[in-house]
Amino acid sequence: MTDILNIKEAWKTYKMGSEEINALQGVNFNVEKGGFLAVMGPSGSGKSTLLHLAGILDLPTKGEVSIGGENVSKLSGKKQAHLRRTQIGFVFQRFNLLNQLTALENVMLPMMKPDKEKAREILDRVGLKGKYDRLPTQLSGGEEQRVAIARALANDPLLILADEPTGELDTTNSKMIMELLGDLNQEGMTIIIVTHDPMAAEFAQKTVQMRDGKIYE
Amino acid sequence: MSIYKLSFKNLKRRKLRSALTMLGIIIGVGTLVLLIGAGTGMQSYIKEQTETMMGDVSIYNSSGGGYMGSGDSYLDQETISKIKNMSQLYDFKEEVQFTTDMDKTPIYVVGMSDWSQVKFNGTSGVVVDQSLVDNFGYKIGSNITIKDQDFTVTGITQQSFGMGMGFVYLDIDRALPLNDNKVSSITASARGDPETAKNDVENQIPDTMAMTQSDFTKQIDDMMNGIMLFIGAIASIGLLVGVISIVNIMLVNVTERTREIGVLKAIGFTNREVLGSILMEAGLLGFIGALIGLVLAAILLQLGIILFGPQLGMEDVSLAYMLPTWLILAVVGGATVLSVLAGLYPAWRASRLNVVEALRYD
Repeated sequence: MTDILNIKEAWKTYKMGSEEINALQGVNFNVEKGGFLAVMGPSGSGKSTLLHLAGILDLPTKGEVSIGGENVSKLSGKKQAHLRRTQIGFVFQRFNLLNQLTALENVMLPMMKPDKEKAREILDRVGLKGKYDRLPTQLSGGEEQRVAIARALANDPLLILADEPTGELDTTNSKMIMELLGDLNQEGMTIIIVTHDPMAAEFAQKTVQMRDGKIYE
Repeated sequence: MSIYKLSFKNLKRRKLRSALTMLGIIIGVGTLVLLIGAGTGMQSYIKEQTETMMGDVSIYNSSGGGYMGSGDSYLDQETISKIKNMSQLYDFKEEVQFTTDMDKTPIYVVGMSDWSQVKFNGTSGVVVDQSLVDNFGYKIGSNITIKDQDFTVTGITQQSFGMGMGFVYLDIDRALPLNDNKVSSITASARGDPETAKNDVENQIPDTMAMTQSDFTKQIDDMMNGIMLFIGAIASIGLLVGVISIVNIMLVNVTERTREIGVLKAIGFTNREVLGSILMEAGLLGFIGALIGLVLAAILLQLGIILFGPQLGMEDVSLAYMLPTWLILAVVGGATVLSVLAGLYPAWRASRLNVVEALRYD
């Protein structure tokens, strides 16, 4: 199996005044194609930082992050953005849809070639048939998160990264979202979630724990 | 759904804020177009009138102030006949202007041979202006007395240049005796180059000053350009205030939308695209504001023509005189470019936002 994501000896160090904080301390981590991985751990354990590195929202201070075999630190900012846009789908805790756009427009936003038909199909796929023209404010939290997942799928990415995808949802909706992610994984999508929620983690094939910037399997 | 369409949506989302921001541009552009438009319109109208009415050369007494009702410096009969004897000149038209009293009120008398210069009701001969009609109740057929001579009013004009002074227009033949047969100016057509004719007159006939059509237009241009530069500079202050308000509002927009910008970058938009979308938003504010300002100014100018045209003898002036293409392009283009520049700093700040921090922003 090929590794979609490969993180080698990654360190992330922040300076807080005169103090240095090591959010990641030599993390080794890889995800194979078709994997579904849950990263758990207390606040401040470094799990969000790990996800940010995986999504090229941030770069390691030391070490290497490769996506689809390419070392992202060596890419220009423009190529990093292109990789994010085409190969990575982000799902956030707070949905982060654009409120001025309809569900359909939110899905079309990142598309390299705007394709209404495809955007509709993706919305159908996540169970939002007929709600194409709703604005985010006219949708429930669960529906908003499904639009966010549809947006993440818009460019047929290699990898979906979800940061606490159930963090703002009730139990029923949380379960529905995790079932949707589980189904997408069944269809071959590689998924990494960061979560506090043991119920959410149960849907993953594998769970790793993080503490103090290190991974414990 | 491109990121640039988002710029439109963002403006629509905050309609009141966008409208208020545009207001600065609307007022700035509106004032600028209104003032420059009125100036330009007047300039090209005067020039056109000058060209159609004037002969090639106008001749005055050189001690006078020039061509605008030059007080008491006149050309006497001897000089007039010398001028009329010049072979380079033909088709002479004389004009005389003087002030006198009528009914113990100062009036301005213009003796003219070319009645096409004045628009009036009735027939030519003895035409009084509306202020005399209003103040003394004259009408066509009334008798008036100027310098002990009786005249019968034949026409009434709406035109008034007199700053409150009454105007009486007379046939040149009847006006000349009232001014000891002296004229203010003679215009004539020239055989050959008007410039040569002008120099000949000035060199051969003492105490004369001659002006060609292009001297006139130059004089008008110099005067109008000076005025327009001045009013343009003042009106530009309004536009500048509008542009500053764009900087301000775009900074607020960008700060408020920090998280949204973080999301855009997280889903793969480049710094340059984020920068572009914010510049686009700023540019749109300027562009739309400028268009609205332009339309408002055009409406006001048209209203101005309808309301004040008759007094200035400009009621048949068309809006196209006042809004030449260069003015429209310069003002709309200028306002848009300035607005894009105003968006540069906010856009640069937005594009440099750290994604991770931006996503955490509330």
